[in-house]
Amino acid sequence: MSNYDIGYVNCSLCEKCIDACPFDAIAVVDGKIKMNSACKACGICVDSCPEGLITPVKDQRASVDKSQYTDVLVFAEQIEGEVHPVTYELMGKGRELANKIDQELHVILLGHNLMDQTDEILAHGADKIYVYNQKALHHFDVQAYARAFEDCVEKTKPTIILIGATPVGRSLAPRISTRFKTGLTADCTILDVRENTDLVQTRPAFGGNIMARILTTRTRPQMATMRYKVMEPAAKVDNPTGEIINFSVPEAELETRSNFISITKKPEVESIEDADKIIAVGRGIREEKDLEMIKELADLIGAKIGTTRPLIEKGWTGHHQQIGLSGRSVRPELIITLGISGAVQFVAGMKSSEHIFAVNSDPEASIFNVAHYGMVGDLYNIVPKLIEKIKNGENVFKKIEKEAVAI
Amino acid sequence: MDYNKITKEDIEVLIDILDDDRVTLREDINEDYSHDELAELKAFPEIMIEPETTEEVSQVMKFASKRNIPVTPRGTGTGLCGGAVAMEAGILLLTTSMDRIIEIDEENLTAKVQPGVILMNFSEKVNDLGFMYPPDPGEKSATLGGNVLTNAGGMRAVKYGVTRDYVLGMEIVLPNGEIIDTGGKVVKNSSGYSIQDLIIGSEGTLGIVTEITLKLVPMPKKALTLLIPFDSLEEAIGTVPEIINAKIVPTGIEFMEKEVLLAATDYLGKEFPDTSAPAYLLLKFDGNDKKEIEKKYEVAADVCLENNAYDVYIANTDERQDVIWDTRGALLEALKAVSELDECDVVVPRNKVADFVNFTHNLEDKHKLRIRGFGHAGDGNLHLYTLKDDLDDETWQKRNKAVMDELYAKSREMKGKVSGEHGIAIAKKEYLHADIGPVQLGLMRGIKNTFDPQNILNPGKTV
Amino acid sequence: MEILVCVKQVPETKDVEVDENGNLIRDGVDSIMNPHDMYALETALRLKAEHGGTVSAITMGPPQSKEVIREAYMMGADKGYILSDIKFAGADVLATSYTLSQGLEVIGLKNGYDLIICGMESTDGDTAQVGPAIAETLKIPHVAYVSSIKESNGEKIIVEKDMGETIEIVEFSYPGLITVTKEVNQPRLPSYRLKLDTRDRKIETLTFADLLDDDENNFGLKGSPTQVEKVFPPDDNIEKVMWTGNGEELSEKLFNELKELKVI
Repeated sequence: MSNYDIGYVNCSLCEKCIDACPFDAIAVVDGKIKMNSACKACGICVDSCPEGLITPVKDQRASVDKSQYTDVLVFAEQIEGEVHPVTYELMGKGRELANKIDQELHVILLGHNLMDQTDEILAHGADKIYVYNQKALHHFDVQAYARAFEDCVEKTKPTIILIGATPVGRSLAPRISTRFKTGLTADCTILDVRENTDLVQTRPAFGGNIMARILTTRTRPQMATMRYKVMEPAAKVDNPTGEIINFSVPEAELETRSNFISITKKPEVESIEDADKIIAVGRGIREEKDLEMIKELADLIGAKIGTTRPLIEKGWTGHHQQIGLSGRSVRPELIITLGISGAVQFVAGMKSSEHIFAVNSDPEASIFNVAHYGMVGDLYNIVPKLIEKIKNGENVFKKIEKEAVAI
Repeated sequence: MDYNKITKEDIEVLIDILDDDRVTLREDINEDYSHDELAELKAFPEIMIEPETTEEVSQVMKFASKRNIPVTPRGTGTGLCGGAVAMEAGILLLTTSMDRIIEIDEENLTAKVQPGVILMNFSEKVNDLGFMYPPDPGEKSATLGGNVLTNAGGMRAVKYGVTRDYVLGMEIVLPNGEIIDTGGKVVKNSSGYSIQDLIIGSEGTLGIVTEITLKLVPMPKKALTLLIPFDSLEEAIGTVPEIINAKIVPTGIEFMEKEVLLAATDYLGKEFPDTSAPAYLLLKFDGNDKKEIEKKYEVAADVCLENNAYDVYIANTDERQDVIWDTRGALLEALKAVSELDECDVVVPRNKVADFVNFTHNLEDKHKLRIRGFGHAGDGNLHLYTLKDDLDDETWQKRNKAVMDELYAKSREMKGKVSGEHGIAIAKKEYLHADIGPVQLGLMRGIKNTFDPQNILNPGKTV
Repeated sequence: MEILVCVKQVPETKDVEVDENGNLIRDGVDSIMNPHDMYALETALRLKAEHGGTVSAITMGPPQSKEVIREAYMMGADKGYILSDIKFAGADVLATSYTLSQGLEVIGLKNGYDLIICGMESTDGDTAQVGPAIAETLKIPHVAYVSSIKESNGEKIIVEKDMGETIEIVEFSYPGLITVTKEVNQPRLPSYRLKLDTRDRKIETLTFADLLDDDENNFGLKGSPTQVEKVFPPDDNIEKVMWTGNGEELSEKLFNELKELKVI
């Protein structure tokens, strides 16, 4: 048995497919290209064959009646009553997909005493919101959540389910997909839908070095988790017309062998290695007290402060903050370097960061060789103005969160 | 010594040779350029220049020798003995703008570089092409020029040798501005005195290297590290000759003691896979396939177990190796983080390392000064650090001097050498001179005089 | 305490590159134990040190995946199993977790089990779904992203889980499953002494015929509802931009970019 048909007659044994296979699943056996049990059906060999002789075995399996499943269902994640902003992004995408197949956008909200949050969700354009307002759902107990979710799916038969690729979503989604023996694609960054309601799911694979396009063609619902902060949140509608529908499952069915003990805000990461945002300062800082301004900026965007060696030698910053070859290696999503010239030994510790912003008054500074966004200017002119703008500016997520709580 | 001070006219000439923006006047010179990595020595140059071509260096030297102005060459200033500090002021000649990799010859396995190329950047570049430049000193942000002039060693010396073994040819600007070429892309050479070998390790006192041709080797595809816990450093280091005797050549053999290890894990904020033993050996192997390396490491592992190692831990993935080598790489920084320090990098015969380390333990008690050590057990090169801790300056200097005196005396007794890879410059001059005696020193000084009769190039260093 | 640990062999490469035709470029890549699984195994070994019992490692893959069990032995695992059959090939998350669950049940039937431990995710798939999906199939509780084991005894375990913004402490009674993050511990290195000692230790192979479910349609490609339609290189490479201007202009640009990145 194999997942692929191979046109042996025309095969020249060029072995390009063997080279291409990331899983060592192809070998020449008895003069023929053969796939073994390491095959993950990733499809890479299909494109590798110059003669186009490798084709996926035609899917003969029966498909469900897709027309029995309609609408896009979005999971509204909440922790301690606060709706996670990824919910609105899922709704943004969900709305787009729903419109494309001329169906509705529905939201499922699980928790306890959540009536306030429903308005905000409806304001973002949900057509229906299914609320399970039950004590056992107050905290995230994955089995209880899965049971309520299962109930909702059985009652509403959605064709697409979108869940945030958050720790909660990534824990919950596989339980639901397994329960319905359907497909689940993790961490999608691009989602589209075909006319036949097949969800086109694109996700990075192999550490982001390749993208894979994945389909769930014969089962429903189709499930995808989506990364936070990759899609636009749903726009607010002027006159929400969505409907709130209250569902519940018998309390006994929500009982599990797990017990919630406590929840605490995560302590601020001590080490800059774990920080996802870093502001790095160097010699451009003239006086120790100027670090207060940097601290303010860092707090505003939730960043940690990293430094170069000279500031540590002056005793202004601690050793644990040093970035570089002789300090810590960091790989944050965002690093803003302020007044750092970019000595090799510093750059070596941060060059794999995802987005590198550099501010330096010297246009020749070598930090600009690694920066994605270089700004030639004086940090003393830029930083205070930036702080001001952030304070006054519309802080999209904070605002949503605040409003959600305030209503 | 009598040198001319730099005048307004001199500045004009230098600006004429270079450009405005590659000449920095005294008042604009950053404090960083007045010292190197470790030495307490501090001295500002009168002017700092950044030539980009051999021709510019040659013109600068012609001018300097005409005007009798001292010139100190400097790379990234990562030295540990004051070699790149302008002790007599004058011109500080930065090679960091001469940072072009001119050619990588994949057929002859050679690379031609300017001296300011950073070791790390060079390694990365040749690695990408499937080659390796074997010298691997701990300080990866040093320049290749600096590496050549100190004959840097590093952690692969056991198997691959040191920088000297990889220099095939050089272009050198002499103190009078004349340009000479040595060596080339040849494998053999029996053509008179080796000027090249004199320049290697000369710490910038004989000439300024402006181009280097280096030998590359094919990059080994696999690497593996063994972490081997022992009951004592003596047992650990005592095992090294046995490993070498077993006719397997690890790439590197390092040792570390628990206390330094814990300081490093603390500094890095990371747990280490094993901290149960008082002393550790680290063995690194490289090769082209898993099986070949496995065979080698098993032989070494058997030897270690026969020599009372608790166990032999196998770091067979990048992630596992990184934990170990990141920690190894942080040992010096970890010490620097807790105290001011001084260093000694004597090299002794391989079988004397354990005795030497033992000796330092006794010195600690005798002089009431903390001494921490780690280093290259495989080649006998020790890195010993005396820590000031909270001693006052005077006591520290007194005790440190006493300890250093004894360390070098002991090394001499064991037929060791003053420096394995850091060099002499100023910090160890006294010890070198005591070590080699008047006859050799006379020869060295004669050589210096032949190259640099005016003594304008990096004066006061080494000889 | 009976602990089962799921381990996986993954390609060693960190940076898989893709050529202009979208093909992966591989050059003598060896397989290694999925780095996250080392933390799972270490967690199991520490629990065993505390409570006694057995640690069994199980993997699914082609016969050469036995290597990863040998390595588990070198770290201290007591027993090892490999699920290997051409019928398992081409499995997506659902089929993989189902096959593993079947294997775990077969092993569990023999010795029973208290806890199953998985790494948080694998470096070649990074879906983080297989652990929770196994728990669902086996109908047992699970806690994902465990960053610390707080307490454990013969009946239950208290763990701390990393929820991104928050830390939750939860407990459950056995049997259950956890997936652990790299914060949970620093895994020990494989031991040469154990390598010598376990050289002849058996690794039990489980094939399709050994499993309880005899419906082929639940395994491998047949049991996989998702299929990869195409792989292609990402069009990443952030364009490099340089800006000049006064403080006002530059701070405005920076502000807008940060907004674009959803940092503010």
